[in-house]
Amino acid sequence: MRVRTDDEVYRVDAVWLGPPKATFPWRARYVAWGVGIVVFLLVTAVQRQVGFGFDFINTGWGFVITIALTRFICARISHERPLSSVVAMWVRELTSPRETTSGRGGAASAARIRVSAHRPRKRPKKGAKRASAATRSQHRTQQDRRQKEVRGVRTPA
Amino acid sequence: MFGRRRDRDRRSAAHVAQHAAAGRDDRKVYSKRGRRLPGEQAVPSYTPSISARSIDGHLLRTGQEVYAWYRLAPQRWSFRSDSQRQDLIAAIAGQYAELQGRWMHLRVTNRPYPIRMWAEAHVHNAVRRLPDTPGTLSFDDYMVGEQQQLMGRSMAEKEVYLGVQVQTRNMMDRAVERAAPVLRKVFPDAVDAELVAIESEIDHLDQVIGSAGLEGRPATAEEMSWLMHRSCSLGLPAPRNLPAVPGAPWEPEDLASFTDAADFHQEPYAPTVTVRGRTGSNAGIKRHVAVLTVGLMHGLQIPEQDDPWVQRSDRLPAAVEWSARIYVRRPEEVSGELQRQMSKVRSQVRHYTDEHELDPPQSLARQASRVLEIDDEMTSGFTALGTRVRSWWRLAVSGPTEREALRLAQGLLDLYKPKVAIEHPEAQYAIAREFIPGEPLSSSAYLRRGSVLWAASAVPTATAEVGDRRGILLGETVTATRRPVAWDPWMAQELRDSSGLTAMVAGLGAGKSFLGGGIVYKTLRAGAHWTLLDPSGPLAALCELPELKPYARPINLLNAQAGILNPYRVVAEPQLDHFMDEEDPERAWRRERALAAATRRRLVLDVLSGLLPFEVARLPQTRIVLLRAVRTVGGRPDAHPGMVFEALRRDASEHHEHAVVVADFLDEMRERMSLLIPEQDLDPYNEARDDRLTVLTMAGLNLPKDGVGREHWTDAEALGVEMLNLAAWLTQRSIYERPKDLRKGVWIDEAFFLSEVPTGRVLMNRFARDSRKWNVRVLLSSQIPADFLKIQGFVTLLDSVFVGRLDDDQAQADALRLLKVPIGAGYEQVVASLGRRPGGVRTNLERDRAPRQFIFGDGAGGVERIRIDFSGPHLEHLRNSLDTTPDALREGSESTEVEVSSPPQDPFAYAEQYTDEYDDELAADLEVGLTDELVDSAHGEGGNRRPGREGVA
Repeated sequence: MRVRTDDEVYRVDAVWLGPPKATFPWRARYVAWGVGIVVFLLVTAVQRQVGFGFDFINTGWGFVITIALTRFICARISHERPLSSVVAMWVRELTSPRETTSGRGGAASAARIRVSAHRPRKRPKKGAKRASAATRSQHRTQQDRRQKEVRGVRTPA
Repeated sequence: MFGRRRDRDRRSAAHVAQHAAAGRDDRKVYSKRGRRLPGEQAVPSYTPSISARSIDGHLLRTGQEVYAWYRLAPQRWSFRSDSQRQDLIAAIAGQYAELQGRWMHLRVTNRPYPIRMWAEAHVHNAVRRLPDTPGTLSFDDYMVGEQQQLMGRSMAEKEVYLGVQVQTRNMMDRAVERAAPVLRKVFPDAVDAELVAIESEIDHLDQVIGSAGLEGRPATAEEMSWLMHRSCSLGLPAPRNLPAVPGAPWEPEDLASFTDAADFHQEPYAPTVTVRGRTGSNAGIKRHVAVLTVGLMHGLQIPEQDDPWVQRSDRLPAAVEWSARIYVRRPEEVSGELQRQMSKVRSQVRHYTDEHELDPPQSLARQASRVLEIDDEMTSGFTALGTRVRSWWRLAVSGPTEREALRLAQGLLDLYKPKVAIEHPEAQYAIAREFIPGEPLSSSAYLRRGSVLWAASAVPTATAEVGDRRGILLGETVTATRRPVAWDPWMAQELRDSSGLTAMVAGLGAGKSFLGGGIVYKTLRAGAHWTLLDPSGPLAALCELPELKPYARPINLLNAQAGILNPYRVVAEPQLDHFMDEEDPERAWRRERALAAATRRRLVLDVLSGLLPFEVARLPQTRIVLLRAVRTVGGRPDAHPGMVFEALRRDASEHHEHAVVVADFLDEMRERMSLLIPEQDLDPYNEARDDRLTVLTMAGLNLPKDGVGREHWTDAEALGVEMLNLAAWLTQRSIYERPKDLRKGVWIDEAFFLSEVPTGRVLMNRFARDSRKWNVRVLLSSQIPADFLKIQGFVTLLDSVFVGRLDDDQAQADALRLLKVPIGAGYEQVVASLGRRPGGVRTNLERDRAPRQFIFGDGAGGVERIRIDFSGPHLEHLRNSLDTTPDALREGSESTEVEVSSPPQDPFAYAEQYTDEYDDELAADLEVGLTDELVDSAHGEGGNRRPGREGVA
């Protein structure tokens, strides 16, 4: 059983040989003509922007550049790789993810954390013994209430 | 890298609460409260950057489509006839054609051979295994060695999946999915409505894909997980442990277990894409993946000349991943397009001829005729095999370095040359993503158009499948696909209800003894009992292996006790308790006893007439007097041929004189027949021993050369053949001495004599009948397949076959007949080339130690070319003992045979009178073919016996 693809049917080289009875010395596909026109317009626009005047010499150079560019582009497209997909692949090449050489975040550093062995405590004052004794009861009730709120247990007396 | 974590901090708490509620019960608690707990930070929402959004059962939903995924069954390809292969292709094409208007995603991936599962199954299956002998290779070490040998091969099994587009999703479906958390509370049915609505469509697809051809079944959760994992970590080694994923519907967050496993990156226009593993066993592992695509293709002759074109890639010594996007087109679309192409061609022709007066290129005419052809294919006939597809076929190979990946890619290119062009496109990353289920096509380049028949002829499911998953390891397949071959010789009897007959056919030095010895050794370790009949004797070396020695016994039959081959005793006496499962045990037992008696008479008759000189044996009166004498003696197990001689001398018929002559001839040979006639008061069958391995050898036996006719045999040769026959019967009786369910094996080497003696077929029938009932594997080996084919009905009784290299054309065709493989389809060449070294040098002084190859038909439909591989270091002693090739330089370490008198046998009391029921006897006679031997004589025992024809020469 001979099996084959239908691809041949879709590989018709549609060329425009020129106006009737006036055959061009080259054969270019319709797509090449299309690409050529667009490229010529772009080249001319760029020439204007850069500051070249619209004269015979400049337009002639424009033609030459257009032909070179069109040939370059058309060499890269074929029935297998139509213009649209070549452009799409080009876009995908540009947008594909790259290797990230610099890591995000990095190692955690504790260099900026100050550490001391003891927590600061209130120093007892000699003269204020009585005053502190008077306020102690009030203090403790406040502290007890807070603990109760958080933990829900009584502190041992 | 496939995952995007959005809005880490910006999102409001309300949004987080809503998202967190998505289908998760534990998160519903959060949403009820509607506020964050103290200390809790915003949970970042997660959207996987792959297109897949959820997996429900075998349904995969993306934002736009619903795909149903199927796992396709492997299809046998080698050793099938072309028409069978064509049928397979046509069946697949028919299934594709039914999927008109749908996209399909074909994925070929692989899974490492499940070595652990095999080992587990094998150990579980090794019941009553051989006790370990201290200081020798223990069973555990043996299993470790086997697994290490498998692991060294890194063989993978191909798995083929097919995703079929069920339908596209509309805005409503997507909106419902988005609102699912809320909807589930308010209107739960609405959430599932989308999948419920397509139920009938899915059923239809299940049915289409499940029918013969693709034989797909809905992929299980585990398979979906495997496929997703292999696709998202394309080219990385298979994960040793899969990330835990639920079997229930998977939400986008669960897909992170796949997407987080690896990330892809690529330099602009680099030839490969780099995949870096991030989790599990692949963490830190980097692979370079070269993604290729199928370019232009010539006409292929499938199946006559070319392999199926996807299967061809199995020949690459590395795993190849495939991803194909196929769109099955509706005929109306295609016909419109064809018309456009036709008018394009016509206008071009006009442009050349009319407008420019030039000759148009030939290609235009060709294209025009091809358009007409396609149009004709599509409109003719009632089958839809002309349906057209558009497709994109991508392949991926990976290597640890870019160089290695490109080398494999080049290998693929070379493999497909010159008929199929394999292209290496740019945008590697984008094309690599196409392998992930649910991803859209990244580029329309390299579009392949064709008919469904063309797409079906890719047959990605074609594989090499032979053997089973629990038996002993024999080696590996060597056709396009390489897989390990395991074979459980008792699976056929225990599970498939088929016979246990195996033929092993190969020429000299093709590795019969090596293969058979390996099978015996490995199954012994796994608990089987074997009796070997090896006339030439080298297999007795197996008994010398240290781990087998305590359980093995070699017996040289030629030096054994007198009477060991007594034809009356080599046929086992049936025991009543073996028939307890029959409907009428008593009756069945009686019938079986009558049959045994008839078999004995037949055997004695054959043996004695075989021993007589050919000229005497062929005389009709010889048969008459012999038959009469044998009848007089009867079929009791305690008789012996000496009684027949006496009966001959007592013959009182008109042939008395001839009977005496025959008796004289036989008496003349009496000394040489000492093995057949026991001495007075000596029964060699009294000693009972329970050996795992008994090797009967007959070293020094004179056997006729191949192809020498019976009439030219010398007396010694005739005696040799008869003794071999009796020895074969002796091995056969060994199976009745052990419990029915016990796994037993009998291997008869040089089994050619089965076709030379008339009782050979009787023996075969007994083997075929009882091998299943008694759980026996019978290996018969010979150098000439015709020896087996001569036995009527042998092929139908056969279960499995091993065919080694055979040089003779006729032998090759016969071997294919045994394998039930089409003859004349070119497979004869395969038999001739088995195990031959390519470009072998004749003057080579090195011995050919390459592993031998066989074609193995496993009796369950699988036929494959395999390479026997017992090359593990743990089996070195086995290889050395099985090396039968002579070597003068080898140190003279002769294996000494232990001479033991006789095989074990339960002493059976046989005092009662041996009386047969008449009809049982007749039936038994008919079964063993004794009635054919009867000569119409005045001494016929009854008028109901039909007149016999001339006896067998």
